[in-house]
Amino acid sequence: MSSVLEINNMSKIYGEADNRVKALDDVSFSIKQGEFVLIVGSSGSGKSTLLNMIGLLDHPTKGKISIDGIDTTTLNDDKISSFRNKKLGFIFQFSNLLTDLSVLENVLLPLQIGGNNTGEKDAMDLLKAVGLEDQIYKRANKISGGQAQRVAIARGLINKPSIVLADEPTGNLDSVTSATIVQLMKSMAKKLNQTFIIVTHDREHFGNVDRVITIKDGKAFEGDMPSEMEITV
Amino acid sequence: MDYRIKLAKRMLFNQKGSLFGAVLAVTIGILVIHVNFVIFQGLFDAIVRDISDYNTGDVIITDEFDFIDKSDQSLIRWFERIPVVQAATPRLSTSSEMNMTKNGKLIEETRISLVGVDPFNDVRASTVHETVTEGSYVFSRNSIVLGSNIARDLGGAQVGDSVKVLVVDRWGQDQIKRFTVTGIANSPGGQGFDYSGVIHIDTLRDMMSRHGDTGSFMVKLYDHSKALEVKEFFLRSFPNEDFIAETTEEASEAQLEGFRSGIAMINMIGYFGMMASAFAIVTIQMMLVNGKTRQIGVMRSIGAKRKDILIIFIFQGMIIGAIGAGVGTAAGLGYTVYAKETKMSFNGSLPLEVTYNWEKVIQTALMSFILAIIASLYPSYRATKLLPVEAMRSV
Repeated sequence: MSSVLEINNMSKIYGEADNRVKALDDVSFSIKQGEFVLIVGSSGSGKSTLLNMIGLLDHPTKGKISIDGIDTTTLNDDKISSFRNKKLGFIFQFSNLLTDLSVLENVLLPLQIGGNNTGEKDAMDLLKAVGLEDQIYKRANKISGGQAQRVAIARGLINKPSIVLADEPTGNLDSVTSATIVQLMKSMAKKLNQTFIIVTHDREHFGNVDRVITIKDGKAFEGDMPSEMEITV
Repeated sequence: MDYRIKLAKRMLFNQKGSLFGAVLAVTIGILVIHVNFVIFQGLFDAIVRDISDYNTGDVIITDEFDFIDKSDQSLIRWFERIPVVQAATPRLSTSSEMNMTKNGKLIEETRISLVGVDPFNDVRASTVHETVTEGSYVFSRNSIVLGSNIARDLGGAQVGDSVKVLVVDRWGQDQIKRFTVTGIANSPGGQGFDYSGVIHIDTLRDMMSRHGDTGSFMVKLYDHSKALEVKEFFLRSFPNEDFIAETTEEASEAQLEGFRSGIAMINMIGYFGMMASAFAIVTIQMMLVNGKTRQIGVMRSIGAKRKDILIIFIFQGMIIGAIGAGVGTAAGLGYTVYAKETKMSFNGSLPLEVTYNWEKVIQTALMSFILAIIASLYPSYRATKLLPVEAMRSV
């Protein structure tokens, strides 16, 4: 199976001189197509920073991130935007739907940003798959938190991205709804052979997954526990 | 529909308070300019109208050497052969002294302006006769119409009273004649003959010993815009005479010059008002951008480029400008219609000459539309500068 993501010796340092904070310290790992990966770690460990780097929402201070074999650190702002649109799907903790749009319009948005105005059937199919076929014309601020997170999953998948990145997708949900969302993501990953990288501190909600990466003090470790070996390439 | 246009519309229309505020700012900006135009341009045009109606016509003919010695009838016939000419009439004026004995007491009014008119032609070329509020216009050789101010100064002269008029003739001799007051003239705005006396032109010629002489010719046209053509045609037709021909504007330039500067200044104030509305748009759009920071971050994270964000907020500026220009123009035109239909005047003074200046209406609407777009540039630019990861942290 080919690597969809490769991270080599990536570091992220915030601040300067005496105020330097090393959020990520020489992180290297790769992820294969179709893997369902959890990134775990305590609060402030650097897991969200790592996700922002993979999502090209922030730039690493050092190192290289390749997605589908393309070195993203050499891309300019416009190309990064196009790259995010085509290759990455995002699911956020607070779903972050655009409240001025309907459920269907939110799902269609990544397609329209990419210049494709013909994806309505795909969007309908995805909304059906996440169980929201009867909510499609509702304003995004008129649905529940769990429903909004399902819409966010559909929006994250609509462009058939190489990787779906989820930042604490269950962090704002009750335990029953969280379990439903986790199951939904797992089933979509299996059905579509979709790579998921999920940052969470609710490790137990996710049960068995393909892979777990633990971040501690800015370093990445393979497996659930910080006692596991640091990943080296 | 392009998603950026759809989003711009939805974001704006879902913030009805902001939209209302921004549109109101543009509307008020335009309305101020329309109101200024109706009042001040209306006042200016009303003065020009009255100068034209009472004193100069659309074209006024005078002579370099004070008096025109060509026959009245020949010149009137010459003018009235031109299809755009409605009428032409001779005028002669001089200064005089007037007195009246009332209740055994002599009341003297010194050096008033005396105007001689041809009663038959004057009513066709001028509307001075319409300012006669009591009695009737000049109809015989010994009748006089007094301006309301003269009548007041004469201790309240009334129709039927007798006045004595003294004129110095061309030979320096005093010529005194008694007239019967047949009318009192009162013109709103005071551009008429409120400070003059009006008598028959032939009587004045006799008193001045200027038989056959005329001071000026008022030429009234059906279409004022042809004034320049008629003037030039007249001067071309009499190349060997010493005639001076002027349009109303040329003849009254000295009188209107100060007013014109005043209007320019008032217009400037109007445009400053419009600038103030642009600042209101900047503020409101900055609020819109701040309120949508997180959504901008989401859009950027799912692939929207900086230019897409720019387009969304500039389009919002266009919507504000278009609605504001539409509502403001409608309100301005509404005020203009009201002013025109009610023959608006201030304190019963000069009725404004209200016109629809479509060029200015379109220019004002376009200017406010463009200003609204310019005003949205900075907030839009600020929106594009938001980093997705920072914007997403916004609550």
